[in-house]
Amino acid sequence: MRTKAKAIGVALAALAVLCAMFATSASAASWKFEGKSLEGSEVVVGAAIDSSLTIPGLTTKCANFLYKLNIKNEGTTGKGEVTELPLYECTTDQPEVCTVKTIAAEKLPWAAKVTTVTTSNYIVIEGIKVAIKYAGIECALGGITVNVTGTAGGLLDNATETATFNSTTFGATKTELKALATKIQWTGLFPTEAFQWHREQALSVS
Amino acid sequence: MQKHRRRVVGSALLVVALAALSLAGSAQAKLGGEFTKFANCPYTNATALKCIYSVTESGEVLLGSKKVPIEKPVVLQGAYASPVEEKEEAEFYPFLAATNGITLSKAPQNVPGGILGIVPEASSPFLVKALIKFFLENSLTGVNSTLELAKPASAIRISENNLAGEIGTALQMPVKVHLENPFLGKKCYVGSESSPITWNLTTGTTKPPAPNTPITGSGGEGELLESAKILKLNNNLLVDNSWSAPKAAGCGGILSFLVDPIINAQLGTTTAGHNTAKLKGTLYEASAFTVNKYDKEHP
Repeated sequence: MRTKAKAIGVALAALAVLCAMFATSASAASWKFEGKSLEGSEVVVGAAIDSSLTIPGLTTKCANFLYKLNIKNEGTTGKGEVTELPLYECTTDQPEVCTVKTIAAEKLPWAAKVTTVTTSNYIVIEGIKVAIKYAGIECALGGITVNVTGTAGGLLDNATETATFNSTTFGATKTELKALATKIQWTGLFPTEAFQWHREQALSVS
Repeated sequence: MQKHRRRVVGSALLVVALAALSLAGSAQAKLGGEFTKFANCPYTNATALKCIYSVTESGEVLLGSKKVPIEKPVVLQGAYASPVEEKEEAEFYPFLAATNGITLSKAPQNVPGGILGIVPEASSPFLVKALIKFFLENSLTGVNSTLELAKPASAIRISENNLAGEIGTALQMPVKVHLENPFLGKKCYVGSESSPITWNLTTGTTKPPAPNTPITGSGGEGELLESAKILKLNNNLLVDNSWSAPKAAGCGGILSFLVDPIINAQLGTTTAGHNTAKLKGTLYEASAFTVNKYDKEHP
């Protein structure tokens, strides 16, 4: 009798743990325009309002950080892929030492999906690869191709129609970017705007 | 009188020695901060591109059946010049020797089990381990293994893109292993200038012949120091388990014809697939121009 009670207790505890796990794990969300679920696909474009990438000891910024994202829904899950990411006018915070010789996104397209963590919606971009070549006779990274690789998770804000990437959003989505085998910081604020069939319509995720 | 003269001569020699030491000291004292690591870099050499200072702090070298843990730091220092060849889409740079002549420092590492090669099981009692160490790894029966360059420093090749990118060969180094023990004499080597052990060290994954299996190195965690003028790679792990080693030679002096076979029997098979090098440490790199400039600005 006592054994049965103990077994039920253990089962309930296991159930409680499972429920707790599911409560904190990510779930899916879909793309919506004017509150209606996206059918077919759409092209979203934008330019970073502010974005920087920091390898410990050196921060790189690009004045023109554009992106093109194709989005669609698969069932109730918002999916997409980054197809273009032109980066121009990039500089470092040590301009007298290191300049950016070339910077380019590689292995495009990068897969993207929308995910919900607790109550917030995030876009997670996978398979990121950006190759940066620094120059400068005094630059320790001069001549080395620095590859930024990994995944990035950004918070989608329906009110401002933006995606924000920073250490908090990377932590929430358990994503990380690496360069020189080191975890690096990437911050960015990206407006999201439909460019094809849903121009000037409010883009949201839920 | 004679005693006084001797004292004067002695004092004069001491003064000269001290002066020489202070001059040598001041030559290195110009470089401050993190730049002191590059004191022996040939940064005034017009062909020098980047100064390098790499300390292997741990790891191991498995030569046949003998595993030697790296317990004493080994320093590789010098510079590298403009690229000479392209391989695997990476540029390979020739090495320039350190100005003090010590491009690869000689750090004798203890060979576990000494000359008899008796290594206790890991599960052996502490007392057994201590006794075996005491009897077999003392100054008489113990063996030290010292890694040395088998060829001039110019034979070293480095690819900084492979080093940072964790692919292909990052550092190619011809080496020989000096086995030292009173019975082995002073010329007991595995590898030589004409027949060196060639390490093709990678921070990526190796493709060794069997029975070895692939192992993976690491570029380490990078950080930039001194306003991005120095690159520091922490926990840099260079590995190679595809190399072969020649037989030991010159062991036991005039009795080498007897001792060499014994040593080779102890080492076991040393053909490719039976050896491993794992070198873990910290690597510093800066442009030779920067180090030279720092030196001139801090007389």
